[in-house]
Amino acid sequence: MNVIVHKFKEVLYAVLPITFIVLLLNFTLAPLDNISMFIRFIIGSIFIIVGLSIFLFGVDIGITPIGQLMGKTIAKSNKVWIVLIAGLLLGFFISIAEPDLHILAGQVDFVTSGVISKSLIVVVVSIGIGALIALGLVRIVFNIPLYKILTVLYFIILVLAIYTSPEFLAISFDASGATTGALTVPFILALALGISSMKKDSKASEKDSFGLVAIASTGAIIAVLLMNIISKTEEITGGIEAQAEGTLSVIGPFLHEFPKITKEIIIALLPILIIFLVFQKISFKMSRKAVRKIVVGLVFTFIGLVLFLVGVNAGFMDVGREIGYSIASLDRKAYLIIVAFVLGLVTILAEPAVHVLTHQIEDVTSGYVRRNVVMFSLCIGVGLAVALSILRILIPELQLWHYLLPGYIIAIALTYIVPKLFVGIAFDSGGVASGPMTATFILAFVQGAAEAIEGANVLVDAFGMIAMVALTPLITLQIVGLIFKMKSKKVGLEKDVQ
Amino acid sequence: MSSNSEMIAYEQVCIIVDFGKGSKIMQTAKKHGISGGTILVGKGTVKNRLLEMLGINDIRKEIIILVSDKSTVHHAIEQLDKQFKFSKPNHGIVFTTSIYRVLGAKCMKETINEESGVNNTMYHAITVIVEKGNAELVIDAANEAGSKGGTIINARGSGIHETSKLFSMTIEPEKELVLILSEKESTENIISSIRSKLKIDEPGNGIIFIQDVNKTYGLYQ
Repeated sequence: MNVIVHKFKEVLYAVLPITFIVLLLNFTLAPLDNISMFIRFIIGSIFIIVGLSIFLFGVDIGITPIGQLMGKTIAKSNKVWIVLIAGLLLGFFISIAEPDLHILAGQVDFVTSGVISKSLIVVVVSIGIGALIALGLVRIVFNIPLYKILTVLYFIILVLAIYTSPEFLAISFDASGATTGALTVPFILALALGISSMKKDSKASEKDSFGLVAIASTGAIIAVLLMNIISKTEEITGGIEAQAEGTLSVIGPFLHEFPKITKEIIIALLPILIIFLVFQKISFKMSRKAVRKIVVGLVFTFIGLVLFLVGVNAGFMDVGREIGYSIASLDRKAYLIIVAFVLGLVTILAEPAVHVLTHQIEDVTSGYVRRNVVMFSLCIGVGLAVALSILRILIPELQLWHYLLPGYIIAIALTYIVPKLFVGIAFDSGGVASGPMTATFILAFVQGAAEAIEGANVLVDAFGMIAMVALTPLITLQIVGLIFKMKSKKVGLEKDVQ
Repeated sequence: MSSNSEMIAYEQVCIIVDFGKGSKIMQTAKKHGISGGTILVGKGTVKNRLLEMLGINDIRKEIIILVSDKSTVHHAIEQLDKQFKFSKPNHGIVFTTSIYRVLGAKCMKETINEESGVNNTMYHAITVIVEKGNAELVIDAANEAGSKGGTIINARGSGIHETSKLFSMTIEPEKELVLILSEKESTENIISSIRSKLKIDEPGNGIIFIQDVNKTYGLYQ
């Protein structure tokens, strides 16, 4: 039972801080006047704790082994065209099933009044991700340094961004955060690990285990930017969708979310299951016991993710909006910024993909880079991101690109001096940080705040928050890398042997 | 121990604990005279019907390897035992094996340890190296023959037939290293079970070697 207790404890430490902070706010700055919302929040927290625990087991014994096996099988083909096509197809099918992408595409469809249809966006973004995953796999097998690829990719983005409208700039960066969700990230991470773990050079194998998520995320950005330039949509018409009135029912929202999310997750898991079964038939040929274990893992993943997402959507979303609104209505705006920072800090702890990434980092580096270190710097990064986004709502003159441009320039510049292992880790974290927790709870908080502040455009100001969450970890984690570099120089000994 | 003519006996200590304790143990060991060590990450298996059915019977472990002369080692593990309570269930396992020669550690003089044939050994350390993915089969086979569990460490390596190149990466096949502690009487059973189940005698299927263990903590029936 030790194993279960262990995992449960880890998840408890991840979810309790945010629960605690919200309760604290409830009794101080932002009392929730709706008692059913409060109860829903508590039930939501329990759902999240149980769901996240089960999900993490599922990833360990289901998703990760499939991804790793797939990576190895692809590499062993020893043919470039197989790597390219496999990368393209895998990326496409994984991304097209991602629920977050469908939500985002729905919003874009809405704000462009249907000029850019939902299905078009889903397909275009998925092609973008597929193409870039193919590129990422080729990078690993041909040992092309990650920082060079990233420099080129972000340069392309910069050029494209000049020709794009500011709204679409925000949407494109949000897309990159949205598409790398709770299911795709573990899979993509495992895929990279599978290929690179075969390398003879252990340093290379360590650092090449990371970076594929980062490359995949740029695929989404580039795809959306290109689409905007080609279709020339200038005007963005919509406001935010009409919000459902805060219901008084406690279990109503849970019952409402449950079938919806179940369906979404089935669709999202299906490609992974099918790809696995096809590969099992033609190439893995594992024992029945091993297959059973993986299938059990997928079932865990499914149950865990459904519980988690129901908890977030039904229990956390309204609370986020409510807190954002009431704190923004206070006279002292400093409170809003502080609360934003703290919420960002604690929300990221409960993000599923973050757990997967940090465990993989610990495994790959044999514990050299500890989970806590990565967690800590991610927390700081995301806290800053949310606080900066709030600042942008308070000061209308501040544009999103005022953050993004210098931010990415710093991030790219750092890749040239930071230990290469940390480049991969940092850029992967950027994609990983913006998962379901951020996309619902924090987004709701920011939107709530934007509603309360006069002159703030909910759409333009609140969008772009995810983009910020994806940016700041790139910088904070690379700074940690620099600190590691300085600290790990051996003291009192002559030069290293190498 | 002052004169050169006297043989200094060296021992290797191997400590297997839950993930996260490794660095703490290493620091304590250093306090008690051990000059350094290496930490590996591995996984252990838990024997539990329910967990096995659910497929979550793996637990992450850290393996700490320390080398020093006999008296330092004995002193250090006494102290470690006091602090980390290996003798309590689930607090970890410690065992020591004899070492033939130590190089590269400045504080230890290079000497050859001729004191072989350790007296009253009760346990053997069995090391099995197999292709990645087969470690669980090894553990299963060992458990059938009466072993209590084992630790799996990810590794890679190659025999003379196995290096190859894919694209521009040189490949070394992935291996798994399984460490099993067994009572002397059941060693033979365990290895013959592994040997037949994994067809170790056919080329390329793996390697088994067995070491005498001098001291153990944390093993119980």
